[in-house]
Formats: sequence, C-alpha cells, structure tokens
Amino acid sequence: MQEASDDKLVAAVARGDGQACAVLMQRHLGRIVALARRMMGNQADAEEVAQEVFLRVWTNAEKWEPGRAQFGTWLHRVAANLCLDRLRRQRNTVDIDEMPDLVSGDPAPDQRLEADELAARVEAALQQLPERQRAAIALSHYQGLSNIETAEILEVSVEAVESLLSRGRRQLRTLLATEKDGLLRSRETSA
Amino acid sequence: MNREISLERFAAIVDAYGASPMRWPADERGAAEALLAISADARALLDEARMLDGVLAAAPVEVPSDALVARLMAARPRPATPVPAGKPRSIFRELISAIWPNGSPAIPAGALAASIMLGIALGSVSEIAVLNGSQIAAASGESEADERLIALALADIDWPEEWIQ
Repeated sequence: MQEASDDKLVAAVARGDGQACAVLMQRHLGRIVALARRMMGNQADAEEVAQEVFLRVWTNAEKWEPGRAQFGTWLHRVAANLCLDRLRRQRNTVDIDEMPDLVSGDPAPDQRLEADELAARVEAALQQLPERQRAAIALSHYQGLSNIETAEILEVSVEAVESLLSRGRRQLRTLLATEKDGLLRSRETSA
Repeated sequence: MNREISLERFAAIVDAYGASPMRWPADERGAAEALLAISADARALLDEARMLDGVLAAAPVEVPSDALVARLMAARPRPATPVPAGKPRSIFRELISAIWPNGSPAIPAGALAASIMLGIALGSVSEIAVLNGSQIAAASGESEADERLIALALADIDWPEEWIQ
C-alpha cells in the first residue's frame, strides 16, 4: 500500500479502504497544510482549508480519472483556490488595524534574532504580499512546484508567474531587509 | 546542448525563482548553471538571492495536528455494507417463518392493539381538557405580556439568512 501510486490509492479510497486514506494523508496532508499556512498565515485556518480539501477527495474519489492529472497538483490547485476564496472574503471584512504588524519592536543591530521571532516576521511579511504574489511564492518557492505547474494552478501564463514571483520577492526583500542583514552578519561572525 | 543565456536573463531568473537551481525553469537551468560557472557577476547575483532564500526558510512549519488527522479519518468513505451472514435461527423462528413467510400478521395487529390501550389509559388519567373559544380568551387574556409574545411569534420576521439555509 505504501508504494501504491496516488491513482491506485484514490481508487481504493473510493472503495472505502481506510488504509488507503491513511497513506494518502501521510503522503499529502502535510504539504497541503504547509501551502495553506503560507497563504493564510495561521495554522488554524490552514488546517480548516486542508480538511476541506481532503473532504473533497473523500467525496469525489470515485469520480477521479487516473492519468488525467497529477493528483498532487490537483490537490494544490484545490487548496490554492480555497485559500484565495477565503482571503477574498476576509479582505472584505478584516479591519486594516488587525493586519500583522511587521515593524514593531525592531531588534537592536547586535541582537541575535530568535528563531521563532524571525519565523513570525517572515510569516507577517508574506501576509503583506498581494494574494496572487503570495500564492505564486507559496507554490513555487515553498512547495517546489515548477513554473508550469504554478501557472496551471493559478490559471495564468508562465511569464505572468515569473512576474508575480519577481514582484513578490522584491517586496519581501524590502520588508525583510533587517532580517536579511542580521542573517548576513551572523554568517560573517560564524565564518 | 544548452542554449546560452545573458547575464540579464540570469538576473531575472534568480530575481523570480531564487538561488536554488531546482526552482529555475527546467528549459533554462543548464544554461544558467553554465553561466554561473564562468561569470563572477552571476555568482554575486546568486549570493544576493541566497540571502533572501535563507530568511524565507525561517517561515514557520507545523505538522498537521492529530485532531485534523482524526477528523479526516472519521469522515472517510466506508465500504458498502455487506449483507450480514444469517445467524442460526431457533426452531421456533424457523417454524414461524415457514407458516408466515412475510412475517406474522399478529405482530402489527398486536402493536396496534397495544397503542390503542395505552391511548385510552393516558386519556383517562390526563388533566388535558378541551377548551372552547371563550375559555381560551379567558385563559390567555390575563396577561398582556402573553399576547405580545404570541404576536411576536406570529409576526413576519426577517430571519437571518444563515438560519434559513
């Protein structure tokens, strides 16, 4: 069962095979939660999205056509679209004052950034990106999907993906300049 | 053989995809790596991109919670319920089944009779009475608050949409 292809596992899921469900989750759930975490900015929302993605798998398993698409890419597409839908809804309701604050408490130059503080700052910087730039960076940079797969998921051209990535990384470079300098200094110190 | 790419194109690639060749477009990866081997400017661009990659790698990662896995396993599809293998039946049940293949008519008739008897018994001891219109008015007219409550219940209320769905 562990070596079975995704297509075979999905067929077994449709027959109600619990072990196939477990293997499919073992293989993909962590990556889908990670994608949703990059997009949504918190674990609770990420798990809600991932739950919805897998409930769709359970519901639609018998309609899955083997060989028509990569199952993993399809999961990413469903997850990315669910995230974008949620973010659009949130954008209409979230108060601007509730947006993550990136600039408060800048560390002193000689202060070594704690790992969790740096993680929080990177996450906050990602949340400041426009949604589609964030989606492109989540899919390409963090999930390691190719530019062609990312373009398919976001339903844009490869050139458009490259543009989204460039603009996103440029903004992140600006937002995380302090952190980047800190990392550079710590490397110089340890060298 | 890989086609060559310019330093300008190399800069655009690392600007978009970062420092790891694994993330670069597959059809340009070889040419970009070839340029990297001979160009100090390309290596400087790569170092700059690597710095941002290093910061981005600090983004938090959490494994899915046990609760999520448990919820999904609980909601998974189940196999179609097989027809249970017949348990050995007693001689009495075999006999009943032979006489009334579709079940004994005594069973529903018995249930109906029991229901009627229960209804009569409850009716005889209950304090529920049938009131006429004036009695209702007298009983309910004692309190204005009651009337307001009834009017409120009968009013055409705009229910929140999520209650209706």
